Amino acid sequence: MDKLRFYVAMAAAKLSAVGLRLLGRNASYLPGLIAVTICKNFIGHLQKPETLICVTGTNGKTTTSNLLNTVLTNSGEKVTNNSFGSNVQGGVAAALLLNSTFTGKPKNRIAVLEVDERSSLLVYPFMAPDYLICNNIMRDSIKRNAHTDFISYIINSAVPETTKVILNADDIIGAQLCPQCEKKVFFGVDALPPAKTEGMTARDIVYCPKCGGKLEAEYLRYNHIGRWRCADCGFASPARDYVVTDVDKAAGTFTVAHGEERHSFKLVNDNIVNVFNFCGAIALLREMGVPYETIETAFQDTELVKTRYDHIEAGKLHITRILAKGQNPVAVSRTFSYTAKCPGDKKCLLLIIDDKEDNIHNVESTCWLYDLDYTPLKDPTIDCMIFAGKRCKDHVLRAAMSGVDLSKIVTTDEVKNCSALVDTQKYQDIYLLFENYWLDEALAEEKLLVARGESGT
Amino acid sequence: MTIEVLFAEVCNLCGDAQNAAYLKQTLPDAEVIDTSLPDRPFFADHTPDMIYMGNMSERIQRRVVETLRPYRDRLQELIDGGTVMLFTGNAWEVLTKHISYVTEKIELDGLGLLDLTVKTDWFDRYNGKVLGRCGDIDVIGFRSQFSMVHGDNSQCAFLKVERGIGVNPESKYEGVRVNNLFGTAVLGPILPNNPLFTEYLISLTGTQAQAAFREQAMAAYEQRLKEFRDPKTEF
Repeated sequence: MDKLRFYVAMAAAKLSAVGLRLLGRNASYLPGLIAVTICKNFIGHLQKPETLICVTGTNGKTTTSNLLNTVLTNSGEKVTNNSFGSNVQGGVAAALLLNSTFTGKPKNRIAVLEVDERSSLLVYPFMAPDYLICNNIMRDSIKRNAHTDFISYIINSAVPETTKVILNADDIIGAQLCPQCEKKVFFGVDALPPAKTEGMTARDIVYCPKCGGKLEAEYLRYNHIGRWRCADCGFASPARDYVVTDVDKAAGTFTVAHGEERHSFKLVNDNIVNVFNFCGAIALLREMGVPYETIETAFQDTELVKTRYDHIEAGKLHITRILAKGQNPVAVSRTFSYTAKCPGDKKCLLLIIDDKEDNIHNVESTCWLYDLDYTPLKDPTIDCMIFAGKRCKDHVLRAAMSGVDLSKIVTTDEVKNCSALVDTQKYQDIYLLFENYWLDEALAEEKLLVARGESGT
Repeated sequence: MTIEVLFAEVCNLCGDAQNAAYLKQTLPDAEVIDTSLPDRPFFADHTPDMIYMGNMSERIQRRVVETLRPYRDRLQELIDGGTVMLFTGNAWEVLTKHISYVTEKIELDGLGLLDLTVKTDWFDRYNGKVLGRCGDIDVIGFRSQFSMVHGDNSQCAFLKVERGIGVNPESKYEGVRVNNLFGTAVLGPILPNNPLFTEYLISLTGTQAQAAFREQAMAAYEQRLKEFRDPKTEF
């Protein structure tokens, strides 16, 4: 009966995909949702690709998945993936079914699937990943993710013990995931240890998870990412199997050490969060047996996806657009910090970081703004900040509480045409920070700025 | 003025750390005592003007209950004596009689200072907003929680709810107020989001103060109040 249900689900899902494509719509989620609605165990019934890789964690899933796809595709594989779709159960099911025959046989040998942490219990019990990489576990959307204990519990409850897990050794919360798994590989970054602990409004771990004693930080990069030790019981951040030993920003390279081996790669982006992502991806690929040379070559051709980061020169204007994932205080804090260090001694920031859906016939919870670190906005190179969106008054209050000079702040309730507030005669270094769901609007504002740059107005 | 902030290193989920920060900015001359979990609380031997504790994970909540258990009678004495206390998110649940952690299958007696019980379920999360009145002040807030409080708080509620739910979906009474103890499920920035309530809370200590960044805080508060009262706004 269940098998019959599976075939009905497969037929309905494939038909819906055809229909969606005929309508010019994206078929990366709805077919999967239809399939798992008709047959709860739909993913379980599908034959899985020979190698199943899952990517999870609070931040860095998409970047890591894209890197893995790029390297594996460059090596000649056809890779099943959900990089243009949803990372919840429906998206995972859609990616697998659209790359399967009608009988459920996989078309590709390898799948790289980004899996939202909250979907773990709906995904892993139905498919055992061969490899699971988790970049980090930290506070995220308050509404969905609650806190790191909850997310760790979900992942630990769902991941099968046969999976080889690739974990961030410098994330003492994430490093403890999956105690049931024997096969563990740790990665981290030893290069560029911070001279001081960066300011952050809150951290997700303070006490030893083993004995409850106070953890002592050797150093911290941001939030709880760094190296820790418990003075009471000796518990400490695990040793790294793969470690970034050098980041040469001038040469645009970074070096990864594994045992006695040292290999250099193109530094695709110098944001520290991405250096972690790169190292994690390399660790996983090496564990799969992908040769270093293949990885190095693929990195040469890799860029961050334009939807997440782009830089355009338009006349005198230098326009940089950077994703700032809304309701995710750590991600946006990192974007603020990164932007403060970016080129330009008189920068103008256009910030579109409110939640889009939550402000339609609703009022976005602003709790996350109070975990967000606004202090990088005090950087003297930032001369103007334009907060666009319904919560602009809340941003002003939070900025005031963080000591930001309010005379530098301009606000508008409207996102549409907010770039008109940028004084392009005064500012040449313009940074457009945007929430994921505002991508189309951010691209439209970017286009307006480019036109003004090219025309010199 | 002495303000004791309890366990800020761990009771800081959902932006709650910024309530204490806002109090410090509103009362720059106040002595703020940060008590960590291993420390003996300041209130054990002294009478602070105000005690604040914020939202936390369930694991930390259990540790906080055990940390405060030896001081249960002293807390009762301070509540009876009118010390101002503000416990936000799930912090005030430690004062109840009993907490059931359904997912983790753990039963725990609370401090028993409030005749209420708590049920916490990791697979039943509530996200919402609340608009209610504390005296003649409109208080607005956001809620995200795994727990619901049960029992009759109608005679000792923090807020009479105008929109949203009370301590549970069947209740229209949110939180508790016992003398100057305020317990509320409202999260994170309850103080900066409610400058009038902040000023009222401080006035209960016998000090008059204008909320920090009052102009900016009032502008955000008035806009949100208007939005919360808009019938189109979903709760």
